[in-house]
Amino acid sequence: MARITVGDLKKIKERVHNETALREGVHRAKVTVHMGTCGIAAGARGVMDSLMGEIAAAGISDVVVTTSGCAGLCSQEPMLTVEMTGEEPIVYSKIDGNKMRQIFKGHILGGVVQSQFALAKG
Amino acid sequence: MKVFRSHLLLCGGTGCHASGSQAVKAALIEQINKKGLGEEVKVVETGCNGFCAQGPILVVYPEGVVYMSLKPEDMPELVEEHFIKGRIVQRLLYREPLSKEVIPAMKDIPFFALQELRVLRNRGIIDPEVIDEAIARDGYAGMAKALTEMTPEAIIKEVLDSGLRGRGGAGFPTGLKWKFCSQSPGNIKYVICNADEGDPGAFMDRSVLEADPHAVIEGMVIAAKAIGSSHGYIYCRAEYPLAIHRLNIATAQAREYGLLGQNILGTGFNFDLDIYQGAGAFVCGEETALMTSIEGKRGMPRPRPPFPALSGLWQKPSILNNVETFANIGQIIHKGASWYNSIGTEKSKGTKVFALTGDVNNIGLVEVPMGIQLGEIIYEIGGGIQKGKKFKAAQLGGPSGGCIPAAHLNTPVDFEKVTELGAIMGSGGLIVLDEDKCAVDVARFFMDFVQEESCGKCPPCRVGTKRMLEMITDICNGKGKEGYIEKLIELGNSIKDTALCGLGQTAPNPVLSTIRYFRDEYEAHILEKRCPAGVCPELVRAPCQNACPAGVDVPGFVSLVGEERYSEGLKLHRERNPFAEICGRICFHPCESKCRRSSLDEPLAIRQVKRFMTGMEKEPLLPEFRESEINATRKIAIVGAGPAGLSCAYFLARLGYKPQVFEAAPRAGGMMVQTIPEYRLPRQVIEKEVKMIENTGVKINYGSRLGRDFTLLSLRDQGYEAVFLGVGVPYGSKMGIPGEDLIGVTDAISYLREYNLTGKAPAGNNVVVIGGGNAAIDAARTALRLGAKEVTLLYRRTRFEMPAWAEEIHEAEIEGVKLNFLVAPIEAVSLNGRVSALKCAKMELGDYDRSGRRRPVAVKGKDFEVKADLVISAIGQYLDEKEIFAGLNVEMNKSGYVKVDPLCARTSVEWLYAGGDVTVGPSSVVEAIAWGEKAAVGIDQALTGTDNAFWRKEKVLDTFFDPEADPIDAKRAPLLNLSLSERMGNFKEVEKALPAASAVCEAKRCLRCDYRAES
Repeated sequence: MARITVGDLKKIKERVHNETALREGVHRAKVTVHMGTCGIAAGARGVMDSLMGEIAAAGISDVVVTTSGCAGLCSQEPMLTVEMTGEEPIVYSKIDGNKMRQIFKGHILGGVVQSQFALAKG
Repeated sequence: MKVFRSHLLLCGGTGCHASGSQAVKAALIEQINKKGLGEEVKVVETGCNGFCAQGPILVVYPEGVVYMSLKPEDMPELVEEHFIKGRIVQRLLYREPLSKEVIPAMKDIPFFALQELRVLRNRGIIDPEVIDEAIARDGYAGMAKALTEMTPEAIIKEVLDSGLRGRGGAGFPTGLKWKFCSQSPGNIKYVICNADEGDPGAFMDRSVLEADPHAVIEGMVIAAKAIGSSHGYIYCRAEYPLAIHRLNIATAQAREYGLLGQNILGTGFNFDLDIYQGAGAFVCGEETALMTSIEGKRGMPRPRPPFPALSGLWQKPSILNNVETFANIGQIIHKGASWYNSIGTEKSKGTKVFALTGDVNNIGLVEVPMGIQLGEIIYEIGGGIQKGKKFKAAQLGGPSGGCIPAAHLNTPVDFEKVTELGAIMGSGGLIVLDEDKCAVDVARFFMDFVQEESCGKCPPCRVGTKRMLEMITDICNGKGKEGYIEKLIELGNSIKDTALCGLGQTAPNPVLSTIRYFRDEYEAHILEKRCPAGVCPELVRAPCQNACPAGVDVPGFVSLVGEERYSEGLKLHRERNPFAEICGRICFHPCESKCRRSSLDEPLAIRQVKRFMTGMEKEPLLPEFRESEINATRKIAIVGAGPAGLSCAYFLARLGYKPQVFEAAPRAGGMMVQTIPEYRLPRQVIEKEVKMIENTGVKINYGSRLGRDFTLLSLRDQGYEAVFLGVGVPYGSKMGIPGEDLIGVTDAISYLREYNLTGKAPAGNNVVVIGGGNAAIDAARTALRLGAKEVTLLYRRTRFEMPAWAEEIHEAEIEGVKLNFLVAPIEAVSLNGRVSALKCAKMELGDYDRSGRRRPVAVKGKDFEVKADLVISAIGQYLDEKEIFAGLNVEMNKSGYVKVDPLCARTSVEWLYAGGDVTVGPSSVVEAIAWGEKAAVGIDQALTGTDNAFWRKEKVLDTFFDPEADPIDAKRAPLLNLSLSERMGNFKEVEKALPAASAVCEAKRCLRCDYRAES
């Protein structure tokens, strides 16, 4: 660490704030990766990894990632629910790392539902 | 940058460390790594989260879910469930103490939701050992502004305008202190932070230092710029190793960033600070003593003036502020004075941090806006008193402060108000005391502390506090003499006026304030040698016995039952209370609520043990009676054959008197026979014990009514030397609403009396009972038994405030009584002269009243009607002075009852004694019994000039007790009741006696608090 200036204070604030923003409860989207036994068996772990990678690469802080158990549609796993704040949740099915990236860029960043992978609303 | 999907903030304050948060952290990290979540989930150790009693605490973001009281073995489940499967682990969540509701999110828990976080804004959110996290939340932004944009004058003006007052206790305006110092001549000045927090139970400063040390450093740099200082000290007690550790890390990181040291932020301003570890002397929290201590000398205060602003550390101009004060400064500069003073009261702005401890459910650190009601802190944030006990007082300000009793729960907490009530804001220790705490003992504790910590420099403090402690210790030990209270006040006031420093000047406060509010307790200790709260060991043989108004030897008869020696147990019981069988049925057992077994599992079922014991009685068993030919000739009249009158007669008879009892009703027993329903107290039980008393030479004259057949004066004319008045408060109070005189509207006393004396009473189809006491429940259950289709009980407060006994409320509900809370009657609606409905208002709880309960207030526009053909009000009772006294002038007390000497029950008329409800208002059978005994002793003493109450001498117990043995492992015996079908439509006794085996087992659960090792 080196001596800093007033300008540096602001830079540190912005950088660290991005990392810690999720402690403050404001977010643009909530992504739920279904991680029941079926989900994990079908590859949900890889989906999660690629999602976290995308978020880091995009440098955004206001996407909340959570997990949930089996949704009852085991044959459609790995599944993913994307809930943009103020919009209806969209459930995506049979996701892999590649689809995950498209959904991230298209839906979460772009705001366009990727209906080719979507299973249902709600 | 590394993004994690979840941040787990684990509390790492001293409190949570002590409850094991480091082991939890290790287990948590191990599990996270084991499950391969290390790259997704981040664990951060924070400073104190505030909810210390529930620690270790883990807050999970982004959900904001808070887990409490964690143990390392919970971690596998927590990680598996929450972080893999996304399911919240219910059993580890917060549970609301009163409603038992589970609340997952931190923001929804009242303890957190109602706080206003400014000083503690970063607590539990940042890692205090990472400076970047503090900067991310505007750390050092105020300092940057002060150093780059503001002159010293502008800084001082901003702080002055903010209205910030010193948080160390005295509340001196911070800006003013700085102004004085800035104007003092000299090039060398010092900024000192007082982190020598020493009040028992206070830990605000420690938590700030542990959770957000940078806020304090920032405040000090700003102060340095304001007064022109280049060096500072943080004086922190060595008992705070974690705070010192984090301060050291924080100062090192700040220096690396150039936020401390030379040329701060490139502005050319220089300031650095040292951390000075204090050895823990309480007096070193006093500013001049603290500075003397930094100078390397023995920490003792010196007279002021000169004030430190002129001549402080090393005789240089210095400012000394408390940790919390400095922690406010950065934000005041960053956000402006008007932001800061937007909350608070006229003279106290901003927030105050309190260390909330004692007998409150939610123990921890809370930050609240100035001006918040004391009741809100205790009941909303604090979650009320533990184990549903009553609030007695809040001790504010530690050894320099005082108590605020229940009558002042509405008090807006700010510097002025708190001082007005005899306490001080102090550094913010707030100790909640419940009904089981003794005011004298609390005062003794603080006096002891102050006396121990007195530095000895000035005689008022050194010698004066010692004398005060001696007197108060004497009082606690039952050796207090009359006049001690006045001496304490006089000495206390002169110490206040003459002691050298703040410690000495405030030292008498805890004593003076407890005398102010709890003088009756001091008097009970001194005059009656009694500790009402059951605390002072010299005055309390066992808490149960102490709690019994009649002073029944509870451990005695219980242990005798444990050895199946029932006759001896009964005799022992009747030494102090003749109505063993009656009390075995209906006593509200104050003994059980003080039973120490409750700290182990549940209190002993003392009443049920007694009930069983009386069931084993064949012939009435009586203790010692003493014949006296002289006493037998003396004429004593007793008016009223209720529990007070009969008890008075019984104890007089034991001294050889032959008192005459005058009773208006055809049956003896008073309220016991007239209002208490048969299903709780079978009539043959009353008859048996009344007969037992009659057989001891007491004559009861039935149908002889005071005011009709005789007057008190006519008794006197007939030669009665003393008269005891035990007529109770016989009339049910009116509601004072329109329609009250309609047919079908009555009061509970009249209704119950009508049924109990005549065997008949109207049942009604839709019965509405108004009130929340035992009379209300009795009336409701009686109406139900008489055939009412529906019985609804309306109460203006909530279930938690109901004065009726919990068991009774529970049984009433089982039997079908509907309880409707927060409802008050406004009008009885008439149909052809009969009541047809009751118009009601919906209530909500408002401010606290003098009893410490929230006062119900009507909600506008929410009135409604309840169908009713019988309305029974049970809202209180009154007595008719004219009827009782008929021209005799007797002094009444403030509550409108007969005033008596609490020791001997004598009224303002020399020959007239009174006791029971007539002197204290509607209370209980056992209290009436106690009054009867007191009056009997008083009368005998007046007639003979000596104290002959031989039964008051403690009996030596010969029951076996092994103090080494573990308490027997048995649960409290459950109540055995008739089934619903067995009890409906009749007045059969609902409760059944315990079987012999479980009664004996229950008796053996007694911990024998009466036991003293033989010396």
